[in-house]
Amino acid sequence: MITCGMNSRTSKGVIAAVLLLWSLFLSPFFLHAEEQGEYIAIRKQGGGKIALVLDRAAAKGGKESEWAQEFDKTVKEGLGFSNLFSILPPPSNVRAGSDGKAGGVNFGALSSVGAEVYAGGAVSKKGGKVNIDMEVYDTFGTKLLLKKSYSGKEEHLRSLGHAFCADLIELLTGKKSFFGSKIVFISSKTGSKEVYRCDFDGHGVEQVTNFRSISLTPVLSPDGRYLAYTSYTSGRPTLYIRNLQDNKISSVAKNGVSVDPSWRNATELATTLSFEGDQEIYLVRPDGGIVRRLTNSKGIDVSPTFSADGRQMAFVSARNGLPQIFIQDMQSGLTRRLTYSGRYNTQPSWSPAGDKIAYSTWEKTGEINIFVINADGSGLKRLTSGVRENESPSWSPDGSMIVFTSNRQGGKKLYVMSSNGENQRRLLQVDGDQMQPSWSLFR
Amino acid sequence: MKTRLRGLLVIAMMASAGCSSKTAVTSSDSDAGQGSSLPGSTSGAGSAASRGYGFDEWQTGPVGDVFFDYDSSILAAEAQQRLTENAAWMKSNSAKQVVIEGHCDDRGTSEYNIALGERRATTAKEFMTRLGVAPSRLETITYGEERPFDKGQNEEAWAKNRRAHFIVK
Repeated sequence: MITCGMNSRTSKGVIAAVLLLWSLFLSPFFLHAEEQGEYIAIRKQGGGKIALVLDRAAAKGGKESEWAQEFDKTVKEGLGFSNLFSILPPPSNVRAGSDGKAGGVNFGALSSVGAEVYAGGAVSKKGGKVNIDMEVYDTFGTKLLLKKSYSGKEEHLRSLGHAFCADLIELLTGKKSFFGSKIVFISSKTGSKEVYRCDFDGHGVEQVTNFRSISLTPVLSPDGRYLAYTSYTSGRPTLYIRNLQDNKISSVAKNGVSVDPSWRNATELATTLSFEGDQEIYLVRPDGGIVRRLTNSKGIDVSPTFSADGRQMAFVSARNGLPQIFIQDMQSGLTRRLTYSGRYNTQPSWSPAGDKIAYSTWEKTGEINIFVINADGSGLKRLTSGVRENESPSWSPDGSMIVFTSNRQGGKKLYVMSSNGENQRRLLQVDGDQMQPSWSLFR
Repeated sequence: MKTRLRGLLVIAMMASAGCSSKTAVTSSDSDAGQGSSLPGSTSGAGSAASRGYGFDEWQTGPVGDVFFDYDSSILAAEAQQRLTENAAWMKSNSAKQVVIEGHCDDRGTSEYNIALGERRATTAKEFMTRLGVAPSRLETITYGEERPFDKGQNEEAWAKNRRAHFIVK
């Protein structure tokens, strides 16, 4: 039902991930992509924004022009969201020829406006479907970097645009981006706290649960197959694991409460359970079975989060009195304290793309702010300040961005920022409070 | 700070409607209170205050609520006194069962507060168990900061929300 042909291993990975996502959340559709050219990472870490001229794909008119316009808008918004680009308007004489075919790019005109990269192409209709041939050039080297066709049904134009964005960013940065990922969160829009999800950029908000109870802390498994969350539907907070393919729901059949789950990998998650009396963190299978107990200390142990390789777990413990963040080695069980600054540090989130941990500190001023610290305890950095309560950080799958909750404008709403704290802005406009966002690992 | 809070607490109790001491609240009192309470009210600091600290519209039984300091599940002397009275009532009403709800103020973070609320409820339960009440008659649950008694953003409201709340089944 899905066909794709391509000749690059890297691209195969991207497309496969995108297809996996589509097969999970959207109706299946046809995608055909072809490419030539070479992939080179021309960007260095920490470089400035990439000066890009994005030329609207040429179209013969009518339907094709509409498609070109929508594709252009999607790509502009997608690249804008990444905060990696400075998008320049195309100079009027950028295309020496008017046939919209490959070649004929006026590199002199592009260089004169300071463009490093030029992207353009042509839209056509092939077998009732949208076909977009895109080309990307290094304007200084006047070299073709990417030539690839994106093809699919009209209703999937947005996904085609994001597939191009993903290819472009991976080409220029050498790293996979977040296009195709999802964010799950809690909203009180209906009057009770329910689980919602949306695209990485806040588009396509949909309600996932309708329990009319209290649902909390949703988190998707790394493969997108399961959604784990805590809910009061049984009367007490219980961990539920929903298989998103057949909608079967498992829970942990133990007394006591469950708080704040987190996935270690596609087959194991951790959560706090209190059935043995004290609150401890346990490793649990998606069927609700308990693998083993991880913590053993008197007092609260909550909010596990795992390093990308699953070998280390950061979590919150009140073993010394007030809540601080600790790191436990999963094999040896050895535990060390990570945070020493601040009296109330909770909500750790381990970056999937490096040994950085984001967390929130309730400060003496009454503000709650988001900090980032290296897993070895170095490099502490405050990312928010002066704007009330900023909570629940969660990393994008590439580690370039953080989604979080803030009440800086009144009610609790979702915001995103770059991983260094820059460019903080609202993610979406939804009634009621929004909280506890969790960014998926798949894309 | 703590002393001032206690002061407020006492004043609130003295100012509460009626003259019943906290030990003399009977089922009929609380039934009457129930009847006149605002239906489904989760806000309205005023109505809660006028009903008397610890005996607001959420109070549905003859066993009293106990209150906690910031980020603490330690039972202060007042709380221990209340729990002792609650245990005595449980012993003389041996067919009754209660649910103890742990609640927190909405400062701090919600996941941690779910855990803290559970500790408040279980601490109260363990105290009563030690006084001879069968643990099977004391069910605990935590709401963390999910169901505040008073949505106000001030110490008076926060103090009301840091409690183990008793409901007779």
